[in-house]
Amino acid sequence: METLKLNLAGLTRYNGREGQVSFILHRLSGLGTLLFLAVHILDTSNVYFFPSLYRHAIDLYRSTPFMLGEIMLIFLVIYHGVNGVRISIFDLFAPDRWNIHTQRKSAKWTFGISILLWLPAAYIMGRSLLTHNFG
Amino acid sequence: MRYSGLLLIPLAWGHVLIQDILVGVHSIDLDYVALRWASLGWRIYDFFLLSFAFAHGVNGLRQVLNDYISRDSTRRKSTWVLFGFWLVLSLIGAIAIIGGVRAP
Repeated sequence: METLKLNLAGLTRYNGREGQVSFILHRLSGLGTLLFLAVHILDTSNVYFFPSLYRHAIDLYRSTPFMLGEIMLIFLVIYHGVNGVRISIFDLFAPDRWNIHTQRKSAKWTFGISILLWLPAAYIMGRSLLTHNFG
Repeated sequence: MRYSGLLLIPLAWGHVLIQDILVGVHSIDLDYVALRWASLGWRIYDFFLLSFAFAHGVNGLRQVLNDYISRDSTRRKSTWVLFGFWLVLSLIGAIAIIGGVRAP
């Protein structure tokens, strides 16, 4: 419990700028995706175990709050992947470039690339949300 | 983590692109899943996705927890709990993929 408190306090007090932000985003996006994945395995398993319940699960996913969450989830999955590739590239091919300057720059690039990849997805899914739930 | 992560980029992004963006949740129902699982290739794809994504995720959760747990015995216990969690959900998912869609 003490370590947890210390860690959480550190997250807010330590001013690590881009590197710390990308660390936190990587963790939260990973944990968030895992939470959804666990639920998603269970709901999809209904097609075999309780096929009549699958409809209810899908109805829930079609509701507006869940579709907004889905759009967020896409960003988390994209960011986690792009940031993972960034870390892998530095670790595998350019370990000598693990310095503050390069990391700050690449962390910003990672965020920009993720947003660019996410925008078309968010547009298509947002349109689908509007036409189906508010059309 | 690294290699499962690199593998998950085509697997998970492909899954998200097809199911969430191109097909969309409003077009997904039992018939859609049955149609997709009628081809063995998609079942194998989903099986790989299940194995790699969930193992990658639970292993990540183990590493996050180990950052906040300093006692060895607690670490061992939490690892076993996570292992059980991984095993049970992986089995449920695997049985569903192999068993396929049943009539409601």
